[in-house]
Amino acid sequence: MHSAELATEDCALLRALGLTDRCLLRVCKAGEPCIVEVKATRIGLSRTLARGVFVVPEATA
Amino acid sequence: MGYRIALVGNPNTGKTTLFNRLSGARAKTSNFPGTTTAARIGRAMLANGAAPVEAEIVDLPGLYRLGLSTPESTICREVLAGQGLYHKPDAVVVVVDACNLTRNLVLVGELLAYDEPVVVALNMVDLAQRRGLTLDAAALSREIGCPVVPIVARRGEAVDRLSSIVADVLKRGGAHTPLGLDGDQALEAWADKAVAASVTGIGSGGDSLTQRLDEAFTHPILGILVFAGVMGGMFWTLFALAQLPMDLIEAVFAQLGAWVYTTLPAGAVRDLTADGIIGGIAGTAVFLPQICLLFFLISLLEDTGYLARAAFVMDRLLCRFGLPGHAFVPLLSSHACALPGIMATRLIPDRRDRLATILVAPLMSCSARLPVYVFLTSMLFVGQPLYAAVAFAGCYLLGALSALVSAAVLRRTLVKGTARPMVLELPSYKVPSFTNALISARDQGFAFLKTAGTIIMAISVVMWWLSAYPTAGAAPRAVALQQRAAATADQAAAKALLAEADAVQARAQQQQSFAGRLGRLAQPVFAPLGYDWQLTVGVLTSFLAREVFVSTMSVLLGGSDDPDLADTGVIARIRGATRDDGSLLFTPATSASALVFFVLAMQCTSTLAVTRQETGSMKWAGIQLAYMSALAYAAALITYQGLRAAGIS
Repeated sequence: MHSAELATEDCALLRALGLTDRCLLRVCKAGEPCIVEVKATRIGLSRTLARGVFVVPEATA
Repeated sequence: MGYRIALVGNPNTGKTTLFNRLSGARAKTSNFPGTTTAARIGRAMLANGAAPVEAEIVDLPGLYRLGLSTPESTICREVLAGQGLYHKPDAVVVVVDACNLTRNLVLVGELLAYDEPVVVALNMVDLAQRRGLTLDAAALSREIGCPVVPIVARRGEAVDRLSSIVADVLKRGGAHTPLGLDGDQALEAWADKAVAASVTGIGSGGDSLTQRLDEAFTHPILGILVFAGVMGGMFWTLFALAQLPMDLIEAVFAQLGAWVYTTLPAGAVRDLTADGIIGGIAGTAVFLPQICLLFFLISLLEDTGYLARAAFVMDRLLCRFGLPGHAFVPLLSSHACALPGIMATRLIPDRRDRLATILVAPLMSCSARLPVYVFLTSMLFVGQPLYAAVAFAGCYLLGALSALVSAAVLRRTLVKGTARPMVLELPSYKVPSFTNALISARDQGFAFLKTAGTIIMAISVVMWWLSAYPTAGAAPRAVALQQRAAATADQAAAKALLAEADAVQARAQQQQSFAGRLGRLAQPVFAPLGYDWQLTVGVLTSFLAREVFVSTMSVLLGGSDDPDLADTGVIARIRGATRDDGSLLFTPATSASALVFFVLAMQCTSTLAVTRQETGSMKWAGIQLAYMSALAYAAALITYQGLRAAGIS
């Protein structure tokens, strides 16, 4: 996973929350908000922010 | 000098629960020097065999990383470095969520870069076990190079062992060798390695119940219905339960005022004490039950994990008006009082989002507006309780809509920009802690009394002076009434005549007072809104604190300073009050205009003082006063002139 088109502060906060480069995440709920699970933490992301996070399915990662 | 411990940790790790366990109810809340971030400081006796160690515990704000450019991270860095006014701690206790070790250990790694000794409190180990994780605290301790104590802060399990180990560390003293890791990736790799060496099993962020609840609570329609139900229940509880203690406080202060009146000799000192000081304290203290109860309920809700989900529900609505989802707790709190609402904006991470929320928060209808709404809706709809109730609810709606529209305008003008997109950790659902909620309610109550009490009391004293001086001579009509009362043998008639004489004298006093003169001077400005000099006095005095409007009007028009409008005699007198030309004062158009004015006007000097404090500038307090006054004036003008044009005068 890597981030694109996001403000520097938002990237830093996502990273601090555990959404680091190439981390493994599970999408629990798509839409508004998008809920993902990273390392046993559930994180809610607004649609705008979720659109700035690039994710590929695990099988193709 | 005693020992000093800094308590650090990610949000939602149970840091406050551990702090309360260690320091009990003796903690005090203040701000970190030069900031508006709350600091809780407590003292604890750390058990260590026969010789307990006394230490001061500083509960630092929850943060994810020391390196972030947030106020919380900046404060933590400065405290750890002993910069500015801060004292360097002798040890750091970092509270770590056992269910989310990797992310929490990154913060531990950052803390280990400083030379203070670190002790890790590995919290919520019971939850981690339930989620299928097996943690080896000894292996983790070896891996990261500092003591690790598994605890369950919520139940107080192993907290004694933690305090004993912290006491040992403090007694041994000395600095440790800072961990030398360079950059985010090195820190993350270090944390991953420590977790790999000490944790087995694959944890999950939530079970199927969590998943179902999250889907329901953040659903576009169901989420709003749940939100409306929860908020409706909360407000019902707030108003139903707070009423009794509010009545009790009013009764106690009324008794106290009456006692002063009968005990002290007549004169300025007696009037100042009874009306200025006791009246001023009563005016503040009466809102205390609502404030405490509101924060008690908010703390309970926050503890359950629901508030984070509710923030996303509100984010959909608020972001259209340039406000972040985080703004909903401050806006909600402002329904009790704008002061704690504005103070609660500290939760909003972005400064401009926070500023926009502060500027619009006082538009939400606070408790102080309640008596004014009751008073004016009863003037507007005589004997029509249903219409009065609709108008009452309409006031709340008007306030909330105006706040949203004002926010949208502010985000396009003075506070340009859009709300920062929301990202929030969704904490696990759990049973809330009543102890934490009680402590939060107590802290907020004290903060309210400290901030508002002093200001409102000072205003009340000034108001009393403005309306009491210069003293008017005996009004000829009052003297004549008193003479008639003395001459009549009928006790009841004499009493009625004396009451009327008092009313006439009170009105003469108001006319002659500085406040009365000011009202006459300013009346031409308010004439287009339909106000005469008496109503102008009521509106002007309300710019200091809006709750004085009802008592001012009852003094001016009802001839009594009894604020209890259940006295139908006073209501009837006010309803029948006339202007100098003999026409009715409270016509439907005037009452509606005044109601709209009170919904929108900034009439609270305490709020302005808190805005100045929280924004760090008089400029924003001035802008708040100016735009809200202009909005209130324009809306009241449109209401009055519109109703007159429609043939309703």
